[in-house]
Amino acid sequence: MNGPALERVFRAASGRIIAALAARFRDLARAEDAFSESCLRAVRIWPLAGVPDDPAAWLYRVAERLVLDSLRRDRKLEQPVTDEASLDPSPEDVVTDDAHIVSDERLRLIFICCHPAVAAEARAALTLKLVCGLSVTEIARAFLLQEATLAQRLVRAKRKIAEAGVPFELPSPEAWPERLDAVLSTLEIAYARAHEDAAGSGAHAGFSAEVLHLTRILMHLVPDDAAVAALAAQVRYAEARRPARLDADGFIVPLSAQDPALWRRDLIDEANRLLADAIRIAPSEPRTLQAQLQQVWCTRRSVEDPAPWPQVLRLYDRLLQSRDDPIVRVNRAVAVAEIEGADAALAELARLDFKALDDFLPYHAVRADLLRRTGNRIEAAAAYSRALRLDPPAAERRWLERKLAELPQS
Amino acid sequence: MKYALLIYENEAFYGTEKAGPKIEEIVSKHMTFAGELGPKRIGGAGLKSTAATTTVRTAGNRKTVHDGPFAEAREQLGGFYLIDVANLDEAIEVAKKVPILQDGAIEIRPLLGE
Repeated sequence: MNGPALERVFRAASGRIIAALAARFRDLARAEDAFSESCLRAVRIWPLAGVPDDPAAWLYRVAERLVLDSLRRDRKLEQPVTDEASLDPSPEDVVTDDAHIVSDERLRLIFICCHPAVAAEARAALTLKLVCGLSVTEIARAFLLQEATLAQRLVRAKRKIAEAGVPFELPSPEAWPERLDAVLSTLEIAYARAHEDAAGSGAHAGFSAEVLHLTRILMHLVPDDAAVAALAAQVRYAEARRPARLDADGFIVPLSAQDPALWRRDLIDEANRLLADAIRIAPSEPRTLQAQLQQVWCTRRSVEDPAPWPQVLRLYDRLLQSRDDPIVRVNRAVAVAEIEGADAALAELARLDFKALDDFLPYHAVRADLLRRTGNRIEAAAAYSRALRLDPPAAERRWLERKLAELPQS
Repeated sequence: MKYALLIYENEAFYGTEKAGPKIEEIVSKHMTFAGELGPKRIGGAGLKSTAATTTVRTAGNRKTVHDGPFAEAREQLGGFYLIDVANLDEAIEVAKKVPILQDGAIEIRPLLGE
């Protein structure tokens, strides 16, 4: 197993194992440390001894032993642990019983990370770190934050959970609404990471199925909530288009050029039903509007159908009414370019806070394309280069490189 | 786990003497509430107003005595409960039920050594 393959195994196992350990030992930091250490041991041992049949079970067993050792070292255990351990499910049960453990333990960990006693700005980040196994670098980029700032927030949040006595039980249903928004943001970002990788072959390949699954569980836990239904619809619309996102040469295909015949109708139908619920419950809820933004594209049956740019622009305007968000404005600029022209869109981008968006890849990619269309070759090249330096996923990198190479030479 | 629930309200609402119908109303509510808490309540008290407060301040090796609370604020510590409950969620449940007659805040502080 090579480096990236190992990383995929670790990420896939991360949330389940940390959740199971945290639930059992009521100690997030210890669970996380033990899991990291078990991964380090795997890197040393597997190349020599061979990869175990069930890598996740191996990692769980090692991590569990590490937690017990560290608890013993801290003299926190006066009783031998064997009695308690024998009551617990075997490591194989914990990590392989997807239907039960995965749903419950991971969702439980998500709800702990999203407890209202945890600083609001740390909740989603902590969940992405512990449940989804994202690195600090990746999370910092998703939130447009400095890594050091984010790392500090994560440390504070974990300390708060331990010291304030945040419980490790799934909260009672009355407590769900106040934690729900953070839970949904987390799933949204996790899905965005999976979606970025159009080929579905990178380190986050397992995420999309995972997020689809978690949104389904959430809908059971919290029925009749517009935001939950809308997010579930969003990820289904996005996932439905996956088969059309790459051309035969592995280049990413922009949404407006995708062949709707390749889209998965089953997922679109499911998403339409969910969105109808969301619209019925809360038509102006931002997540409902975001799902509608996906839906207007998915009504297309062929590339000859007119692109829904006017609807897209109207929906972005409604979204901005609830919150003026620079990322929404970048996306809106794409629609502005189609309706009012590239110059108008560039003028919109120029009004945004450049500093806040400097690490946001779509900002540079959109800007580069607009500059190319207005014939500003030099600045377009600079913007494409800046986007490429932000480490885009493979298919998008190739697309950006081709665009850069295709710029007319003076 | 043991927690202190610190009650912050604008004490002007009760008058400087903390006497009269409003204080009678809140005290009777606290009596009822303390009864409902039962063994979860391990301590607590209402506090006289900051007008009755004296502060001993240490700076370097010097200890000086001052009139008034250590910090002036719009809301003052007016009383506290010490409770022993399973976890933060239970402490939050208790804090949400602490009687309060006006806008204010209940701060939940875990006790050291927990």
